[in-house]
Amino acid sequence: MENEIILETKNIIKDFPGVRALDNVSFYLKEGEVLGLVGENGAGKSTLMKILSGAYPFPSYSGEIFWKGKKCEFSRPKDSEETGIAIIYQELNLIPKLTVAENIFLGREPTVGKTGIISWKRLFNQAKELLNLLNISIAPDENIENLSIGKQQMVEIAKALSYDARILILDEPTSALTDHEIESLFKMINSLRERGVSMVYISHKLDEIFEITDRVTVLRDGKTVGSKLTAELTRQELIAKMVGRDIKDMYPKQTVQINEAVLEVKDFFVNHPFLLGEKVVREVNFQARKGEVLGIYGLMGSGRSELLTAIFGSFPADSAGEVCIEGKRTDIRSTHQAIDYGLGLVTEDRKLFGLVLGMGVGENVTLSSLEKLSWYQIIRKQQEHEVIEKYTQSLKIKTPSSETTVGTLSGGNQQKVVIAKWLATDPKILLLDEPTRGVDVGAKVEIYQIINGLTKKGVAVVMVSSDLPEILGMSDRILVMHEGRMVKEFLKGESTQEKIMFYATGGNDGS
Amino acid sequence: MGLKKKFFQQALIKKYGNLIGLITLVIIVTILTRGTFFTQRNLVNVLRQVSVNGILAVGMTLVILIGGIDLSVGSVVALTGIIAAMSQSLGTIPAIILTLIAGAIIGGWNGFFVTKFKIPPFIITLGMMTIARGLCLVISKGQAISGLNDSFLDISESYISPPVAITAIVLGFLVLAFFTAMQKRKKRLNGQTSNSTIAGIMNILLIFAAAAFTIWLVSYRGLPMGALIFLVIAFAGMCVLRRTRFGRYVYAVGGNEEASRLSGINVKLVKFLVFTIMGVLAAVSGMVLAARLNAGVPTAGVMFELDAIASVVIGGTSLSGGYGSVGGSIIGAFIIGVLNNGMQLLHIPSFYQEIVKGIIIIGAVLMDRKKK
Ligand SMILES: Nc1ncnc2c1ncn2[C@@H]1O[C@H](COP(=O)(O)OP(=O)(O)OP(=O)(O)O)[C@@H](O)[C@H]1O
Ligand SMILES: [Mg+2]
Repeated sequence: MENEIILETKNIIKDFPGVRALDNVSFYLKEGEVLGLVGENGAGKSTLMKILSGAYPFPSYSGEIFWKGKKCEFSRPKDSEETGIAIIYQELNLIPKLTVAENIFLGREPTVGKTGIISWKRLFNQAKELLNLLNISIAPDENIENLSIGKQQMVEIAKALSYDARILILDEPTSALTDHEIESLFKMINSLRERGVSMVYISHKLDEIFEITDRVTVLRDGKTVGSKLTAELTRQELIAKMVGRDIKDMYPKQTVQINEAVLEVKDFFVNHPFLLGEKVVREVNFQARKGEVLGIYGLMGSGRSELLTAIFGSFPADSAGEVCIEGKRTDIRSTHQAIDYGLGLVTEDRKLFGLVLGMGVGENVTLSSLEKLSWYQIIRKQQEHEVIEKYTQSLKIKTPSSETTVGTLSGGNQQKVVIAKWLATDPKILLLDEPTRGVDVGAKVEIYQIINGLTKKGVAVVMVSSDLPEILGMSDRILVMHEGRMVKEFLKGESTQEKIMFYATGGNDGS
Repeated sequence: MGLKKKFFQQALIKKYGNLIGLITLVIIVTILTRGTFFTQRNLVNVLRQVSVNGILAVGMTLVILIGGIDLSVGSVVALTGIIAAMSQSLGTIPAIILTLIAGAIIGGWNGFFVTKFKIPPFIITLGMMTIARGLCLVISKGQAISGLNDSFLDISESYISPPVAITAIVLGFLVLAFFTAMQKRKKRLNGQTSNSTIAGIMNILLIFAAAAFTIWLVSYRGLPMGALIFLVIAFAGMCVLRRTRFGRYVYAVGGNEEASRLSGINVKLVKFLVFTIMGVLAAVSGMVLAARLNAGVPTAGVMFELDAIASVVIGGTSLSGGYGSVGGSIIGAFIIGVLNNGMQLLHIPSFYQEIVKGIIIIGAVLMDRKKK
């Protein structure tokens, strides 16, 4: 491998109102290298990448960027693109109604002579060539909206490389991908590496970091705290560097006395929202008990999120069967009713479903519990303030103030705000859908401790997760779902990753 | 430190930008009219003209905050004016109540279609705009309906006498100052980020300047009833948005409807209520206008919806919802009112007035974009 440094930054400083996001960051990237960039939520990873991509233009930060030893100033995204840097954001930027080829060559479509009329034949041929070259098996005339998220991401990458990018930045690329899609992404990364493309790979999933990167640079509180070859690094060491302390136990599960069932789900079916006669959840029966963490594992499309949202009364299709809370049969038709019954649901996608991003941290925290905090319609400001303080402190939410717009917080802190919102309603049963997605290791442990605190108070916690170690580490009991059915139940200690995967992928006892 | 100062300046412009714009406009118009504009007589007149649009702008703020729009308010102003005029024989109070109910029904109708059938507000209120206008012409047979009760005319034409008005204003501002100070103290005690002392002094100065100005204004003939209604509604609007659950929900629904629903907010009810309130406020506005014209006029209120929307947008409320304030809209309404009045005083032909107004609206919104 060549050792030439392609990109280097020196002493980058970037301020936001109330926070210094980057504080003298220096890092470098070599040709043909995959660099893992890790750090806690809010460490400044995305900010640094946005500076490199010109999204935060030149004079809004201080410090220097060198491309192959030459100083550059990117004052708009186009500058960086022309230099050879491409970034794939977590939110994809494709136009759903257009075809793959049109998206790739958007604004640069080949034309018939100089007429300005698009030459469709050449457009599709060029796209096909590019996709073949990258070993991507997607038809260039397919509409984007018909592709899975993973495939869409491939198209984004193809688009980036069609600009002759020499550096590809991937900011948490796998958080919405299935295992299979992650595998193909990694194949692609490997073949790009062979062709000399350098990559920056940002992720909170340390397994991926160890699998795919050559070297890891760690950011903490806006500062670079170290850089080391992946091969010379241990997991413990990496975590310690990231959070600035040793984390001995990633899953600090505390088992408490488990009492009677509070939630009973009997013969539960959920219809498909569009397809008539189809069901996304079939004949599900389970109980959740006071003080227990019930883990539910299933692959994407197994009906796990649909099950939770249907119990919570917010799924856009009918369901059948019984949901009993504290022995009483319920008929929950709105989230408002669900809250009255003592249910809470931490949704999967915090940006779309969990938070009002434009409102303050505090306003988000109390959004579901305002009724308790008001005298008729009038909000009791003092009480509201106390609740906000209580939860921002006990969940250690890092924010300049409770009035800060929640959208400017880092991912992990946003997730804690969602959890705080539900804790403020004082739930008896808390449903968690992927509670630690996009959350850093340190904050993960803190969220597990919050879960411990809940079970100690006798709350029943139902946790859906696609993170197997998390399910194994935190659950008292594990249910496995496959194609809408509950196919297996494991008690604590009975299960292993392999056993769970076996049932989750459709294996059964008979075979 | 320098950075901090810059943020502070930006925050200042963000907070007071509209107000600075209004004051600049007032100064320009005063100079151009050689002082005619800035006389008590004319300013009271401006205040009365602004009231009709201002009441609408308060309601429109709520509608736009939830990401909606209401194009029917101009027609509803005319229709409710006619309803009020035609029901005069019932007595003034019953006529007022009847008109308010009519406004609520029309607004509720809009809200019903928006929430129940998910029809975009633009479409349903566009339909209501023509329906209401047609109804105006049908029930009035195209004629202005005059001969309103004297007591009804008081809605717009009477004045609160200067001594009473001044006492009320002094008391009002004292209470306001007291509460502002209390809030500051509480925030400090809670250890919250309280605004810097400069901002605090600015606030207090502003309150005093506003008080002095209004006292001077009403010492001429007193406070016009229409303006009083407007000010009360504006104050109520601010309180609702800042202090009540409903107000919080309005922001939440406009900011992220799905997340609001999943947080247990009855999104449909919030939207329905907002459109209903808009209908009621259109009825209030319609009655103030009818009282001023001493008639229910079927062709009144044309394009009022646009003035109301412009006020809200100039006031900094985001058309996509979730962000904005009643205070901003009120300043926006005054900007448009001062503009209208100033151009009348300058005898600018009405055709050109429309053009100037359009340019100012676009300019104001551009400025707003720049700030963000
Ligand atoms: N637009 C913004 N306005 C204000 N503050 C911001 C903004 N964007 C980021 N920040 C702040 O800058 C800091 C760094 O944020 P950044 O998004 O770079 O973190 P990150 O390392 O990518 O975290 P995560 O792993 O959660 O994505 C955080 O404290 C965040 O709150
Ligand atoms: Mg990030």
